[in-house]
Amino acid sequence: MTESTDETVDQPTTAAETGSKPEAQSETDQRGATLSKSNVVLRVDDLQKSFGALAATDHATFEVERGTITGMIGPNGAGKSTLFNLISGYYDPDGGTVSLNDGEITGEEPYNIAERGLIRTFQTPRKLEGMTVREAMMIGPQNQPGESFRKLFTSPGEVGDSERQNLADVERILEEFEIDHLARQPATDISGGQMKLVELARAMLAEPDILLLDEPVAGVNPTLANKLAEQIRRLNDEGTTFLLIEHDMDFIMNLADPIIVLNQGSVLTEGTPDEVRSDDRVADAYLGGGSV
Amino acid sequence: MSQVNAREYWTDMNRAEQGVATFMAVTIGGLLVAMLAGGLDPTYFLFLFGLGGMFALMSLGLNAQWGFTGLINFSVAAFFGLGAYGAALMTATNSPVAGGFDPIFGLVLGLVLAAVFAVAIGIPTLRLRADYLAIATLGLAEVIRTVILNERDLTAGSQGLRGIPGFFENWPVLSTFPEAMPGLRIEIIPGQPVVLELSFWEQLLNVSLLLVFLGVSFFVLRRAHRSPWGRVLRTIRSDEDLAKTLGKNTYWYKMQAFVLGSLVMALAGGFFAHLNLFVDPSNLDPITTFYVWVAVMLGGAGSNRGALFGGFVVVAIREGPRFINELPPAPVRNVLEGIVNVIPSVTVEIPSIVLDAGPLRLLLIGLTIILVMRYRPQGVLPPQRELIWPDAIEEDEKARPEMGVREAKTGEIDD
Repeated sequence: MTESTDETVDQPTTAAETGSKPEAQSETDQRGATLSKSNVVLRVDDLQKSFGALAATDHATFEVERGTITGMIGPNGAGKSTLFNLISGYYDPDGGTVSLNDGEITGEEPYNIAERGLIRTFQTPRKLEGMTVREAMMIGPQNQPGESFRKLFTSPGEVGDSERQNLADVERILEEFEIDHLARQPATDISGGQMKLVELARAMLAEPDILLLDEPVAGVNPTLANKLAEQIRRLNDEGTTFLLIEHDMDFIMNLADPIIVLNQGSVLTEGTPDEVRSDDRVADAYLGGGSV
Repeated sequence: MSQVNAREYWTDMNRAEQGVATFMAVTIGGLLVAMLAGGLDPTYFLFLFGLGGMFALMSLGLNAQWGFTGLINFSVAAFFGLGAYGAALMTATNSPVAGGFDPIFGLVLGLVLAAVFAVAIGIPTLRLRADYLAIATLGLAEVIRTVILNERDLTAGSQGLRGIPGFFENWPVLSTFPEAMPGLRIEIIPGQPVVLELSFWEQLLNVSLLLVFLGVSFFVLRRAHRSPWGRVLRTIRSDEDLAKTLGKNTYWYKMQAFVLGSLVMALAGGFFAHLNLFVDPSNLDPITTFYVWVAVMLGGAGSNRGALFGGFVVVAIREGPRFINELPPAPVRNVLEGIVNVIPSVTVEIPSIVLDAGPLRLLLIGLTIILVMRYRPQGVLPPQRELIWPDAIEEDEKARPEMGVREAKTGEIDD
């Protein structure tokens, strides 16, 4: 997963680069640039962000391969959400680069990054007041003809066709997520767990190449959490790549592979769930000892 | 509803709608009766209606900015003033710039000025949080007012601009319409004739212009509100980050909403110039902004119908106290006297108490705000909970948009 680059040689090295997985490292090197081009959706290279004296993201480097569900864990304050904000354009990094499908997106506006195929969700589900669930979902599809003010008056037919299609897509996806009974409920009146499902479903309507989920099951009951996991797996099978932050270890260890561990703003290690579980440094980072 | 059925239409309304309909019917009915009975000058009635429509227009504009998008604009009076001054500078006889042009050019200048200022203030502030726009517009309003007041070479300063022609001055047929109409004298109650003369027909023409402006603005904003474009705005109002995350260029949408709203406000200003035939810097006083905000809050943020209603109610509150400067109000007294005096050889003069009710305006406005915030914070006619492009939803849903939606929260109605 992790790839040493010329730019990172002189930087303080992350644990991943220092050989926690030497075999994987050399394998990546041998595959070379062309293979990684097609396989890597998201590449974060030596990313840095400080808030005053605090280095929230400290030379983080990692990649997310296409078709994976990549997990990201780390103790509170490890910089996971900051990293998400940097990747998705909400923060401007102090240094380093972020690339999406081999095009650099560092410092771009969040909407631009979303248009280019990276969609994210937030830790706290966002509520859309004054809308029903199905309407709140219809904001998902990108580049709708009806989003152009001019076309509302010059091509109302085109707008109507696209609205009809989007409405049908919304109803289909709500059914797939088994929440079609919520379609006409006010979007503010559904439970936190249901809202997370709606967010995921809506993000899918934007047809992302990669979806970043920030703690998708925080505060969600186990039944709904299982449902979410099921949906993520299904969508992954259909080709969507996921990068998700989660504190629920059972959830993420069962769902994600590989897993990246962040600590103090940089990548501590990455590997399969088993490798991460058995890595003492991970346990140290979390608990100061013991096992994860 | 394929058939217009009054009873069904009535039962389809919720309580708020029924209340508004009743209120409007009683108010308009009362005014018409007072007018026909000779208690209220028809020309003045039309002038009041014009003012109501003008405030309704400004409310529609603010509703697009604040109601749809959450943009806090304290420059309503300034954009209104730009529209009015644009119209006046091109047409007024004492215009230091270019008087005497056709009113259509004045209207265009007013709209262009409003758009330019909206973009100019939007560029630095719309990327920031809503508070910055609020502060900037607060400043802009004062800057524009002060410039108009002091730049005498450009605006005639505190003298104001006089001799603004009627909007249809150079139009075929319409320009001669008031003169062509016969003077009418209707006497329903003896001694209380209703006289429809030149000034009435002129005012009627003004009101027609207003109805066109209102109709076009309402149609455009209503269509925009229930479109995917409007949905992006409503998402921005609720949660701008979410809109960005889903690939929407929120800055651009906010700019569009801000400019659109400002244009509608300028349209109201342009109309005012040709209604009042005189503009001066006092037309840009911040109190106008305050009234328009009250109108939008009263009607319901995000609701076009609410904005219309709020605009008229605010004018009723603003102008109403004039009618109770004496009690019973002059129109009522006139009518009553007229009725009693029908009996031959009886002449009764109803005594009246003279008041100074002007200060009641602000009291009533304050009371309205308190009552709305306490009992109906969502406004009298809040927008309905679901706005989907009408062509995209089934006929049965269109006919009864409340299905599955209204019962979730009481009082959620159409936009």
